[in-house]
Amino acid sequence: MKKNFLTAIKEALHEEMEHNGDMICIGEDIGLLGGAFGVTEGLQERYGTGRVIDAPISEAAIVGSAVGMSLNGKTVMAEMQFIDFISCGFDQIVNNLATYHYRTAGDVDMGVVIRGPAGGYGGGALYHSQMNEAWFANSPGIKIVCPSTPSDAKGLMKYALRDRNPVLFYEVKQLYRDNAIAEELPEGDYVIEFGQASIRREGSDLTFVTYGQNVYHCLKAADLLAEEGVKAEVIDIRTLVPLDEETILKSIAKTNRLVVVNEAPMTCGFAGEIVARIADKGFEYLDAPPLRVTRLDTPVPWAKTLELHVLPSVEKIVAAGKRVVRF
Amino acid sequence: MRYNLGSFPNARNLGERNLTAKNGSATATRAKASDEPDQLPRDLLTREEYLELFRQLYLARYFDVRLIKEKKKGRLTGTLYSSHNQEAVLVGSLFGLRPNDWISPIHRDMPAFFMKDLRSGWDNPDRMGMTIEEVCAQVWCKAGSPGRARDNWSHIGKKAKHIIHSTSMLAGTIPVAAGVAYADKLDGGDTVVVTYNGEGSTAQGVFHEAINFAAVHKLAVVTIIENNQWAYGTPTHLGYPLEDYARRADGYGIPGFIADGQDVFDVYDKVMQAVAWGRSGKGPSIVECKTFRAYGHGDHDDDRAAKYRPPHEVEEGRARDPIAIAKKVLLEKGYISESESTLYQAEGKSAGQTTDEDFPPEVVAYLKRGVDYALKSPAPAAEEGERWVFRV
Ligand SMILES: Cc1ncc(C[n+]2csc(CCOP(=O)(O)OP(=O)(O)O)c2C)c(N)n1
Ligand SMILES: [Mg+2]
Repeated sequence: MKKNFLTAIKEALHEEMEHNGDMICIGEDIGLLGGAFGVTEGLQERYGTGRVIDAPISEAAIVGSAVGMSLNGKTVMAEMQFIDFISCGFDQIVNNLATYHYRTAGDVDMGVVIRGPAGGYGGGALYHSQMNEAWFANSPGIKIVCPSTPSDAKGLMKYALRDRNPVLFYEVKQLYRDNAIAEELPEGDYVIEFGQASIRREGSDLTFVTYGQNVYHCLKAADLLAEEGVKAEVIDIRTLVPLDEETILKSIAKTNRLVVVNEAPMTCGFAGEIVARIADKGFEYLDAPPLRVTRLDTPVPWAKTLELHVLPSVEKIVAAGKRVVRF
Repeated sequence: MRYNLGSFPNARNLGERNLTAKNGSATATRAKASDEPDQLPRDLLTREEYLELFRQLYLARYFDVRLIKEKKKGRLTGTLYSSHNQEAVLVGSLFGLRPNDWISPIHRDMPAFFMKDLRSGWDNPDRMGMTIEEVCAQVWCKAGSPGRARDNWSHIGKKAKHIIHSTSMLAGTIPVAAGVAYADKLDGGDTVVVTYNGEGSTAQGVFHEAINFAAVHKLAVVTIIENNQWAYGTPTHLGYPLEDYARRADGYGIPGFIADGQDVFDVYDKVMQAVAWGRSGKGPSIVECKTFRAYGHGDHDDDRAAKYRPPHEVEEGRARDPIAIAKKVLLEKGYISESESTLYQAEGKSAGQTTDEDFPPEVVAYLKRGVDYALKSPAPAAEEGERWVFRV
């Protein structure tokens, strides 16, 4: 049976709760309601109010207490109702959670996964559309994941919940119930190790490197470019930290052209990081300057006209593809 | 046109002068009947003002009902956080403010944007509130909105009208309110800043950090806690261990009032006492208004809310309709007659059960003006998306 993105994550949570008796889930409205989007539906009924906590509305307390629970032997899934609200728990994440292992010289490890719905294109406006992964990529000690398919979401979530490192898991909410990407999920205990990019389409003329819902924009752009005889490869990095540089470098060695696409603002965004690493390690492969297609350096506005103006689009991606090919 | 009283004269100092020193200690202010001043702020209201309060309840209800219907028809984008059954909190708290006072409404307070300073005249262009046209343009996501549809629904404000702009981040406006009050105090002003906050949102650290700052500097910040018993899908006992959220005030040594949020006159009384306290330089306060959320958290949550909330609780919570309660008071006072009291029967009805006949015609006409304007207002031009990141 085909399952959607949301169901895949829900299954991962249920399986890990079953498999790991020391796992706790905490978040706003995750128990009685089953989560704003329904990702945690059924968890409290099955595992009780002790292990599935409806927290008071405080992201700082949610994340900070997850740190304490982890310090005292637990694995914690902490939900942000929208990833945008993570800013209210920022200090606990970047200064407490992220650095714990480092400042204890490896004595303490943190089994905390922070996950939440993210991303634009849904008319969510400034505070229900963010991709704020760059804030955390710039804070050493946090692994960052952003899958684009149901099976990747499931396998990566299960890995995250077993990795004794802080993990930040961006769930693209526009994909949650997108039937077009629903798929059969792999049988059994399906786990995907971090740091492995996935080649979503092979091509020889240029490489799109992307993640999250922009994967689908790039695939569409690759279709359009193919009509003009340009063969684009599409790489979904799946995890930002750690980053699978090898897969990207191999691709660039073949295509000699790079366009990085993500929906966060351009300045100091993760697209820039990818470009910098490839420029460093793959300079000799490049036949054109690597380009970024990102959100403009603006917030995400509400009205559709405005939102589409500032976010990456298939047209903008196609244009960038043509630019590197014609260089 | 029974309740049409025309324009009101500019706000007078309603009720504030009446505050006695009895409320001087934090403990005495938790509104028990015995602690209340001999004369209540409401006792200074005229019949016309009673009727105007009543009419404003209809206006707030009608606005909400209309939006619920529009949303159901798929004509609006974004989430509607209904204020149905909570109108007395907004109307009662706004009514006695001076035009220059500041407010900071949040997601469930959409009517507050145009109901601020309504007493200066619904159609008075100099009124210190947004126009119904501006608010409707915002709801319809049009360029005619004060925020030009850059952020959604309640995330608007207007500096010139002393309305603070909120973000989504709950309780995030309270420090801003404190800053506004600080600046006013430094300039020798005596305006009061009224902030709105759900009971669930009082768990945010910034709520406490801001009130602490306001208490240290004795700033005129009145924080209204709209305790509607639910924070999305979380009941109050999982958000705060005590029954009365007004007790949040105790830790800062500031007054914490409790009002019956279904009774517009009680809300008025308590807020006016809190406002007088702030205006006289004694500092911030909290007014907890006990009310009940009629529908789901947002319109997207109506179906799920019907499952996570026990039906009897919802029935009880909606049984005390603020319009019915106010109507009873007006009848008892002889301000309206029996036959007048049956003219408009919006109370006790769900949005879908009401028709325009259940509301005073001037209320219906007022909103129509707003909607007509919104429908004519254009969508913002795409290029605006990249403007105003910086001042140039
Ligand atoms: C910092 C932050 N965390 C979470 C949310 C998501 N959220 C929006 S409204 C809400 C519930 C608010 O409950 P309450 O404060 O009681 O107000 P009510 O909606 O009942 O009026 C939540 C959790 C948010 N907007 N901001
Ligand atoms: Mg509430």
